[in-house]
Amino acid sequence: MNVKKLLFALSVLFLTIGLVACSDSKSSEGKETNEETNEETNEETNEETNEEGNEEEGTTLHVAALESAYGADMWEKIADSYETTNENVKIELTIKKNLEEVIRPNMQAGEYPDVVLLATGRPEALTETLMKENGLENITDIFDQKVSGEDSTVNEKILDGFTDTLATNPYADGETYLAPMFYSPTGLFYNAGLFEEKGWDVPKTWDEMWELGDKASEEGIALFTYPTTGYFDTFIGSMLYALGGPDFFNSAMTYEDGIWESDKSTEVFETIEKLASYTEKNTVANANPNDFTKNQQLVLDNKALFMPNGNWVVDEMKEAPRADNFEWGMTSIPAFEDGGDRYAFTFFEQIWVPSAAENKVDAKDFITYMYSDEASSIFLEAGAVQPIEGITDQLDGQKQIFYGIYDDEDVLPAMGTFASTEPVAGVNMGDTLYGTIGSVISGKITIEEWRASVEEASDKLREAMN
Amino acid sequence: MSLYRWGGFSNTKEFVGFDNFITLWNDVDFIQSFQNSILLIVVVAIFTLLIAVFFAAVLTKETIPGGNFFRVIFYVPNILSIVVIAGVFSAIYDPSSGLLNSIFGTLSLENFQQMWLGDQDIIIYSVAGALVWQAIGYYMVMYMSSMASIPPSFYEAASLEGASKWKQFTNITLPLIWNTIRTTLTFYIISTINLSFLLVKAMTGGGPDGSTEVFLSYMYDQAYGNSTYGYGMAIGVVVFIFSFALAAIVNHITKRDVLEY
Amino acid sequence: MSKSNGPRTEVLFKLFIYVALITLAIFIIVPVGWVFLASIKENAEFYGSPWAMPVGFHFENFIEAFNEAQMGEYLLNSIVVTVFALLILLVVALPAAYVLSRFKFRGNGFINSFVKAGLFINVSYIAVPIFLMLLDWNTVMNTIFGEGLLLNNRLVLAFIYAATALPFTIFLLSSYFETLPSDFEEAASIDGAGYYRTMFSVMLPMAIPSIVIVILFNFLLFWNEYILALTLMPGENQTLPVGLLNLMAAERSAVNYGPMYAGMVIVMLPTLILYIFVQKRLTQGMTVGGLKG
Repeated sequence: MNVKKLLFALSVLFLTIGLVACSDSKSSEGKETNEETNEETNEETNEETNEEGNEEEGTTLHVAALESAYGADMWEKIADSYETTNENVKIELTIKKNLEEVIRPNMQAGEYPDVVLLATGRPEALTETLMKENGLENITDIFDQKVSGEDSTVNEKILDGFTDTLATNPYADGETYLAPMFYSPTGLFYNAGLFEEKGWDVPKTWDEMWELGDKASEEGIALFTYPTTGYFDTFIGSMLYALGGPDFFNSAMTYEDGIWESDKSTEVFETIEKLASYTEKNTVANANPNDFTKNQQLVLDNKALFMPNGNWVVDEMKEAPRADNFEWGMTSIPAFEDGGDRYAFTFFEQIWVPSAAENKVDAKDFITYMYSDEASSIFLEAGAVQPIEGITDQLDGQKQIFYGIYDDEDVLPAMGTFASTEPVAGVNMGDTLYGTIGSVISGKITIEEWRASVEEASDKLREAMN
Repeated sequence: MSLYRWGGFSNTKEFVGFDNFITLWNDVDFIQSFQNSILLIVVVAIFTLLIAVFFAAVLTKETIPGGNFFRVIFYVPNILSIVVIAGVFSAIYDPSSGLLNSIFGTLSLENFQQMWLGDQDIIIYSVAGALVWQAIGYYMVMYMSSMASIPPSFYEAASLEGASKWKQFTNITLPLIWNTIRTTLTFYIISTINLSFLLVKAMTGGGPDGSTEVFLSYMYDQAYGNSTYGYGMAIGVVVFIFSFALAAIVNHITKRDVLEY
Repeated sequence: MSKSNGPRTEVLFKLFIYVALITLAIFIIVPVGWVFLASIKENAEFYGSPWAMPVGFHFENFIEAFNEAQMGEYLLNSIVVTVFALLILLVVALPAAYVLSRFKFRGNGFINSFVKAGLFINVSYIAVPIFLMLLDWNTVMNTIFGEGLLLNNRLVLAFIYAATALPFTIFLLSSYFETLPSDFEEAASIDGAGYYRTMFSVMLPMAIPSIVIVILFNFLLFWNEYILALTLMPGENQTLPVGLLNLMAAERSAVNYGPMYAGMVIVMLPTLILYIFVQKRLTQGMTVGGLKG
């Protein structure tokens, strides 16, 4: 009995101590913590809070954005300049590298940010989840609104084609739920210096590609490598575009019956199978989140010629050692026949408003502000490029080469992703279509099996289309 | 949660009864992750147990110059974070410049050179290797403390009777630390399930093509990546029941009378 | 023959032990050395062969890690949380484990299996529910006291840490208590000591090795924990592992490998030092108790 009593007494004691101590620590630290502004929260906002308290009229706009390669500073500048022009709005920023882990619990508790910048295609798939749950606000109307503080409408500023893809209109019904933000052209990256040195031409068709592959392998250079299988999303997307244009791509992305068993799709599977035999031998072993830079290094070391990637790779590998005369080059995915259309996929991050947000009106206004000259120049300074008319002219040197890839006469932009469906347990198109490539390259499964499983996944998802 | 179809946020929770569990039963990817996990648990538990008991016995019972040094060194892997372990083992397993393949290369044992992280038949053992490596110290410390509580007089008596070291080990040490070993068997199950998830997430990403997918990484993929939170929770329930049952079974078949000193 | 055989097997046995010890030591020293070397490499060196020696001492990594991860600021938080969590844990777990292993009372079996079931609960399952619970309580407290105290509070975090570690600790300790001879307690009770005295003066000293283990393992656990810290401390008062996340890779940018490894080395040092200090204690248990036969 004694022990039990003791136990009870002790726990009561501790709870009391704990609570007393926490009120103590709170009151003494309250000030300190407010002053010790979290790096991520805008300093000015917090000072204002201190001085004026929360009584002040006006709205607080919660903006959550993923801290990517462009850094967190640019968001603070954006918040500052938006607050200067909109005095009654305060911006509270949450800029984190692991944004999902931070905002997910709050969202489940019902506290939603008003504006979120978070792309699709992340491992935690927060954006996709909201799409599938119809948790996004329809923002079609903002594109006809005037850009905050300017006279032109959003539509006039955004580049054509960026707002009618499945990545912005996930339900394929013409309504826009996500606005396009920073974009990056993707394609095949190579060492332009090496091609010059050897006098090789950059292949425009797959036939030329295989020819080059044979030539290169005589010199001990593999034709192809890839960072991880996830990078095949834009690669296969471009191939689908090249085979049948946007219509064909969209029917594949909306899980049309039998699409993956059609002759055209078969060409995709066969090309990748052939590509597998030209792939650098260590690639599969390093195609994981820890070692993928080793695969990218192969191109820098002239051990492999091409890899699918986006222009961020330049920054990602900026400190890596490289072969003499190395110079980044980027080309589109080859065409299937001579003179055929070639496509280079554009990847972009999205900004959106959760339908459970409190200040939707202000949130939408904030999004229009994203396309103002002021905002875009702040972003551009940090290296983030938005799809805005005339923005490529402001880029310098290497960046202009990448963003100017579509200036090439027969290279067309490709965009979009799989249509959103109701979640289907155990079926993940990305894993089935891209993840399996590891097994195809190591010869574990045949392309027939691969194709069958893709079609099966597609069948299941079609039933779940909204 | 596991009885609902739910993406994680909205109010569109829909009660689906045991549908999630039925889907699970037919999900080949889940079965693969199940097999991987069991394989890891068995392999990691057996190897760690043998190695840890051996070294614990050596370090407590033998007087070895530098014993403290070894004790410290052996524990170090356990305090490394999983990200560091992933980094270390990627340097060891690297196909061209990795430690393993280089050693085999210099010993002219080219046949042993492998794509440690590329070959789908081997990779799961590569992961197991890393897990054993980091777990040895932890369990060794546990066994050491248990062995230390065995009164030295037992051994004195035994050696007077002329019992060999091996005899002393099997007749005194093992029975007396048996309870600790049983306890740790439960820990092996739990920690392998948890750590393999962290390690796989950092080191292999579950690839190539799901060949290193384990329980929790598959659950994570489904609950978040695939927006099927309810299904993910169903996996969680199955994993919980499975590991609990496994621990109970292991506990039952290893049951001996607890010996007091 | 048999006479000369004895020493020879003895020698062979010793040799075998040494070979085994040294092999394992090498297997550990080489990779761990690699980590230390990695922490003084410059970023560019990480793209070459991983086994190349560092070009020079790039000590800036440590400074950068310290600043980037705001270690100065977070160090105190980590210490406070870890120490309090350990204290709470020991105060609750020691008596509980003792009672569960020694006394037979109604519901004993149930509580035992309840504790055991708790072992299988992973922190990552329950982080969000705990957060929601605290948030609710906070709202209640807000209406009563005018301010919510439960989030961003180091002591609450310590309390929850202790709670999550309870099953493990009780399980470990009670399985240890079970093996302790009951002679001592009998002797103590003959001498007229109550349960309370028996526990503190007789059982605890004998349980030192396992208590050391509990402290050591849970220190490691609390020190490195970040899922709960991240969820329950959304504002200030972050702990070291959360700070470390700042050093991790940002999406699609160059990884700052050097500072990342440097940061990990800094964070792991306290655990290592603690271990070096307590490891002798681990094997000292019975010398205190002293029971013959």
